[in-house]
Amino acid sequence: MKIILDGKKVEVDGEKTILEICRGQNIKIPTLCYHKNLFPEARCRLCLVELDGKLVTACSTKVKENSKIITSSKRILKARRRNMELMNPGADIGGLSDDFEAREIYEQVGLGNVRFKSIKNYLSELGAALVRDNNKCINCGRCVQVCEKIQAISAIDFASRAHDEHVTPYNEKHLSEIACIKCGQCLINCPVGAISERSHLKEVVKALNNPRKHVVAQTAPSIRAALGELFDMEPGTLVTGKMVTALRKCGFDKVFDVDLGADITIMEESAELLKRIEKGGPFPMITTCCPAWILMMEHFYPKLIPNMSTCKSPHEMLGMLIKTYYAEKAGIKPKDIVVVSVMPCVAKKFESTRPELNTEVDYVLTTRELGRLIKQKKIDFVNLEEQDFDPTLGIASGAGDIFGNAGGVMEAALRTGYEVATGKRLKKVEFDNLRDFAGIKTGSVKLGGKTIKYACANGGANIRKLLESKDKYHFIEMMVCPGGCVGGGGQPIYFDEDVLKLRSKALYEQDSKKELRRSHENPIVKEIYKKYLGKPLSKKAEKLLHTKYQRRERF
Amino acid sequence: MQILRETKLEGLRLAKKIGRAKVLEVLSKKGLVGRGGAGFPIAKKWETSLGVKAKERYVICNADEGEPGTFKDKFILKNNPETMIEGLLIAAYVLKAKRCFIYLRGEYDYLREELEEKISEILKKSKMKISIEIVRGAGAYICGEETAILQSIMGNRGNAMYKPPHPTVEGLWGKPTVINNVETLTCVPQALVYDDWNPDYRLFSISGDVCHPGVYEWELGVKMSTILDTVKPNGKLKAMAFGCFGGIMPVNKNLSVSQNTICKEGCQHGAFSIIFIGEKHNIVDICLSIAKFYTYESCGKCTPCREGTIRLVNLLKKIKSKKADKSDIKLLKEFAEHIQETSLCGLGRSCGNHILTSLKHFKKDYMGYLK
Amino acid sequence: MKDKILLNILQGVQDKEGYLSEKSLKEISKKYNIPISKLYSVATFYTMLKTEKQGKYVIELCGSPSCVLNKGRDIEKFLEKELKVEIGETSKDNLFSVYKTSCIGCCDEAPAMLINGEPYTKLTIKRVKEILGELRKNANT
Repeated sequence: MKIILDGKKVEVDGEKTILEICRGQNIKIPTLCYHKNLFPEARCRLCLVELDGKLVTACSTKVKENSKIITSSKRILKARRRNMELMNPGADIGGLSDDFEAREIYEQVGLGNVRFKSIKNYLSELGAALVRDNNKCINCGRCVQVCEKIQAISAIDFASRAHDEHVTPYNEKHLSEIACIKCGQCLINCPVGAISERSHLKEVVKALNNPRKHVVAQTAPSIRAALGELFDMEPGTLVTGKMVTALRKCGFDKVFDVDLGADITIMEESAELLKRIEKGGPFPMITTCCPAWILMMEHFYPKLIPNMSTCKSPHEMLGMLIKTYYAEKAGIKPKDIVVVSVMPCVAKKFESTRPELNTEVDYVLTTRELGRLIKQKKIDFVNLEEQDFDPTLGIASGAGDIFGNAGGVMEAALRTGYEVATGKRLKKVEFDNLRDFAGIKTGSVKLGGKTIKYACANGGANIRKLLESKDKYHFIEMMVCPGGCVGGGGQPIYFDEDVLKLRSKALYEQDSKKELRRSHENPIVKEIYKKYLGKPLSKKAEKLLHTKYQRRERF
Repeated sequence: MQILRETKLEGLRLAKKIGRAKVLEVLSKKGLVGRGGAGFPIAKKWETSLGVKAKERYVICNADEGEPGTFKDKFILKNNPETMIEGLLIAAYVLKAKRCFIYLRGEYDYLREELEEKISEILKKSKMKISIEIVRGAGAYICGEETAILQSIMGNRGNAMYKPPHPTVEGLWGKPTVINNVETLTCVPQALVYDDWNPDYRLFSISGDVCHPGVYEWELGVKMSTILDTVKPNGKLKAMAFGCFGGIMPVNKNLSVSQNTICKEGCQHGAFSIIFIGEKHNIVDICLSIAKFYTYESCGKCTPCREGTIRLVNLLKKIKSKKADKSDIKLLKEFAEHIQETSLCGLGRSCGNHILTSLKHFKKDYMGYLK
Repeated sequence: MKDKILLNILQGVQDKEGYLSEKSLKEISKKYNIPISKLYSVATFYTMLKTEKQGKYVIELCGSPSCVLNKGRDIEKFLEKELKVEIGETSKDNLFSVYKTSCIGCCDEAPAMLINGEPYTKLTIKRVKEILGELRKNANT
């Protein structure tokens, strides 16, 4: 249909909202509550435009034939500014880091003087993984929607009404007291930083400044595909070498690659799978790399505990090897080593507090925190030279690299599982059916005369859906964040799913460029098993690299 | 009173005899319009809903009358519930609905048991195979708004939603849903049964500084002097407020009360609730109590209403405590207008009326409080 | 949940137990498969649903303009003084919880209040004293 948009006749799709139409025409409309994947609730009321002389919210309004739309006028700008003024007092704008969307929108709307004092007076919550400060909250409701609709957890919701309306777990409890799985998707979708990660940055800086400490960094697969975004590099730019250089410049004594931990995970996990195939179960066996999935399972599906692989997550495995294998090899006392994991994840922060893990990971930094550290050190990241990981624990296969993508763990496990079980070599190592950007992916493979059915799910709601038919499968990979770790709660804030696709593509590219694409062919892996662990599932491996799970309350 | 006339299921019998189309025709001809405030023709509303293809359809009787100063639906629920229930049955018949709801405000919960008895009694007599469930409201004014009432019945927070979709097209659980209030539904069988049924009679809820507050029935256009002669002012009157949302204007004996005359003064008649305010009161005090009502009842969804109504209260408090100056009055007006212009639902869009109209008609009261 | 009305479920539990305790919310959540955060969210939206333990008598004083015009504020002040509470609180003896509501639709008999859902109208301080005395007496027997 035809409409008149800012005085010009344009042909538009009548099914689209005014906001969608305007974005298609490159007209900037400010909004803090709209999100492409969520239902437009029209809460913030910044996206006001004039439709036939009336102010309407662009995010929720559709046009009619010959509608007249004005997207910018004195009246519109004034109304937007006033709503921003009303929202503003609770938020600490000065303290808003660049990460958050609100900063740009504030500038766009152009807030002048704020004529009202703040009326919010909430206590903030400091959890092991997440920090919540409702005084900053602008009630946009994205976190509530993400938690309910995308993650199917419903840990939080709005409570009370009018100016007392606020986001909270039930009965004003803390996230740390309830069945919250710490995935951090609320945080990723928060435009103002009312929910943020529990920072370990101070502690890490302290360790770096302590000359007696041997500080080791280990970086997860998906960091290298996203870190560049924090320095205005194009999404999907691989910055592996620059990241390693930056970590050394920050003062880390060694920089190791969690992708190697992933390779070791594959060795243990595929051995576990083959053992279960031999023994006849329990099936499905379910992966355990994702700490938010572990929490989800413990809270909502404790009956699955026997189904879970007992493997620790890759960085926990590598952390353990750093303080045992590496410490021995380098002749450093384990207590002098500080292991810092850089993770795309806030649930990993919680994971590192689990007593049953006997964790050797001291601190967990998110991608965003690492970005902050690099900025604090005034390092010109974009122009850094590229360096390699420290070789002792720094060589990884392409199979380890793709752990950051949903479906990647499964693909890596199948590469090794197939070759170990059949003794044949895969002609093509890519499992294309696992590389779609879909919520649930399935397939099957013949291993030793048996057809093994496998499935992968990413996003909490998809996980719940897959679990309805779990008994059809032998092996399942679960990743709580949409897209897997590339879309993790510790990653740079993104506004568009396309960003995730680019990050994901970068990891597959890294894999395809490598000669070494199978975990079991990794020379370091071979050496560690030969010299230290024996073979997968050996007594020593079980002790160091495996863990157990606990039932938790469903509320 | 016309509204108290009983129809004893004669309306339902007639409706079934003449058939759906004819019922709509009669209601349209007789000029029955909704009594919730918008004045939308009932036949048109029902027709729209019937026009939507659907396996299920619902009817809701909105008994969530919550506008301060309004108590006429309670009057009907107490004195003529049978006819209201019959109206609901006729609606169910015409709309082919199998499931009906009466959304009874929590403050009227003490009327529920008797109403339940009446419902089962009449359902039995009618031999209609439908269900009528009472939904127990729980203290949320916003649930009188038709999108909020849907959310509330579906088990959600009573947040207002934007339209379209309109409830008549896509209501409860996505199905066409017709919402009529108590007074409107009561009129349905009366309009069908009685030839002399007058569409211009309205129930008025009168309260405030008068000797005989209560529910009265007058014809649209009734002279204010007639009203005053009946309810007898208690001392000299200064103003009248049309509930909380309709605004405040001076009492004019010669005014004939209708939509046009009231709107001319910037006010809205709504459900014809008139709160008379005596001369001894300062309008700012009354405005503060109305502003508190809005900041208590806002659903919290839209920024301007959630964050703005509390600011209006704070500004009025400042004025009342004689700490304000002219710039505060300007700010009060600016934001009263702003909230109305940028909020979603009727609550937000009317929550500054009392301030804007009283600033127009009673500015002296404000100025007297300035420092 | 199409066949059951959540508000009626919540009200029913509150009728029996006086308020919606954490325990009750958990039971409702399990029985009807509704996230507990949503139950709390809904319960706190409606002012007549309580998530904290209430006094034996829940007083809801009308705050409508009609009641304000008819000395409703005097009743409010008296209640606060007499029961040594502020609006929104429960008296120390756990007998009375006092709230203010928007309007209870008794404007023609203002000022008015609801006690456990029953209306008390045309209030004067003298009458409120009598009512409270009566309730206290009933509570003790």
